[in-house]
Amino acid sequence: MIRLALALLLLAAAPAWTQSPSAAKSVKDAHDLRGIWQAKGNAYRNLEAEKGVIVDPANGKIPYRAEARSTADRNFQARATTDPLLVCFQPGVPRTTLLPEPFQIFQHQDRVVIVYQDVHAYRVIFTDGRPHYDDGIEFYMGDSRGRWEGNTLVVDVTNFKPESWLDAAGHFHSNKLHVIERYTRTASNTMNYEATIEDLEVFQRPWMIRVALALHAEPNFQLIEHECDRDAQGVYRHPAQFLK
Amino acid sequence: MKHFALLVIAAGCASAQSAFTPPRLPDGHPDFGGIWMAATLSAAFNVEEHAASYGTPAGPSVIVDPPGGKLPYLPGMRERAIDNDQHRERDPVGQCHMHGVPRVMFPPFPLEILQDGDYVVILTETEHGVRIIPTDGRPFLKDYSAWNGDSRGHWEGDTLVVEVRGLNGKGWLDQAGNFVGAGATVVERFRLTAKDTLEYEAQVENPAVFSRTFTVRVPLRRRPADVELLEYGCIEGERDAAHLPSPNAPVNGGQR
Repeated sequence: MIRLALALLLLAAAPAWTQSPSAAKSVKDAHDLRGIWQAKGNAYRNLEAEKGVIVDPANGKIPYRAEARSTADRNFQARATTDPLLVCFQPGVPRTTLLPEPFQIFQHQDRVVIVYQDVHAYRVIFTDGRPHYDDGIEFYMGDSRGRWEGNTLVVDVTNFKPESWLDAAGHFHSNKLHVIERYTRTASNTMNYEATIEDLEVFQRPWMIRVALALHAEPNFQLIEHECDRDAQGVYRHPAQFLK
Repeated sequence: MKHFALLVIAAGCASAQSAFTPPRLPDGHPDFGGIWMAATLSAAFNVEEHAASYGTPAGPSVIVDPPGGKLPYLPGMRERAIDNDQHRERDPVGQCHMHGVPRVMFPPFPLEILQDGDYVVILTETEHGVRIIPTDGRPFLKDYSAWNGDSRGHWEGDTLVVEVRGLNGKGWLDQAGNFVGAGATVVERFRLTAKDTLEYEAQVENPAVFSRTFTVRVPLRRRPADVELLEYGCIEGERDAAHLPSPNAPVNGGQR
């Protein structure tokens, strides 16, 4: 009797293992974004100053609400000491994509994982339709949910903390920030990255940046550990080899 | 009685590699994908057997070699661990650093394992730590020093074997101040022993601190399918820096 129960138990358990949704993971070639990528250009310094980065509106200026522009100006004046990135905060989105450091994309059937070299931030982007976290739950890197539109990975990012900046020039956002990213592979070594930025507390209308990403095709190229440590004043600082 | 004996035999077989057939990826390797967490938090508190003390529940040793379950410290080194234990503010994890190997595999937080082609990726919730483990046979980085070191993996049957070099020698093994020093290398073994159990073993070699190698074994248990890693902020919003020890303070009982 016990033997029979044991056999039934094994029979019942086995299919559950083999039918695990993770049993068949593969990525269609057109949807293959894997690799180690890095933004071209210097958009990370100042989104408005780098030609061609802000593609909408056509004048290349961030459409701040009047009172918000003065906050951006104050941030700019104080940027040498108040940029959250200087003290090793996770950079936020889309700033993390624009930094002069590589990031690596991994893919699964139901998720895309991006590991950034800068302060080893990472994002797990579910592509299985599960919803965002509720309002009020906030993250430095936001909450990312992805879907495919043709050959473009579209990532909807919400639930941001308000502290992060959009670049090193003090461009900023509130916790109402909503970013829609579009990743489109354009050739074996290049990818187009677009981000639509909405935040009605800070901007009059949505605006969009576009940056080209290049694949690191060097043999055996890998991310290295970028860990911040405290300086003599106890403030977290980037190691010298990562200072731009 | 006979039936009981059969059950015991069956249970014994279930834990042997041949008895359990792991789910596999299209490339034939076992599928370790999922969110895992140490089945016991005892190792995070203290890898050695320990009695209960303030903030620490009692627990058994997770050291399976040497027999007896004690760390084979060289003369003088256990005193440094005891000194660390009395100065837990020195714990690198308390200062927002990644745990280092092997401690990174058994913190009281979940971690995610992802396999993609020639990579095994381990994301830890705590300290938003990352390990990217190539399994394509590439050489180690030269002159590298990092909290989580530089990892290279290969498969031996259904066991993932990961060699770790380039550890910075500043990592602790647990909250009790047990530590590894400069020149430590680790060989890890990951093996599914049941659908929801990933056995983790790490053999540590560190002649500067220990008289011989030692091995820890901690089973990881799969978390429910709806569990997601959440963002972990540590440096962000740090308000207690003034109470942390000076960056120039000795670590590991004076060993830097």
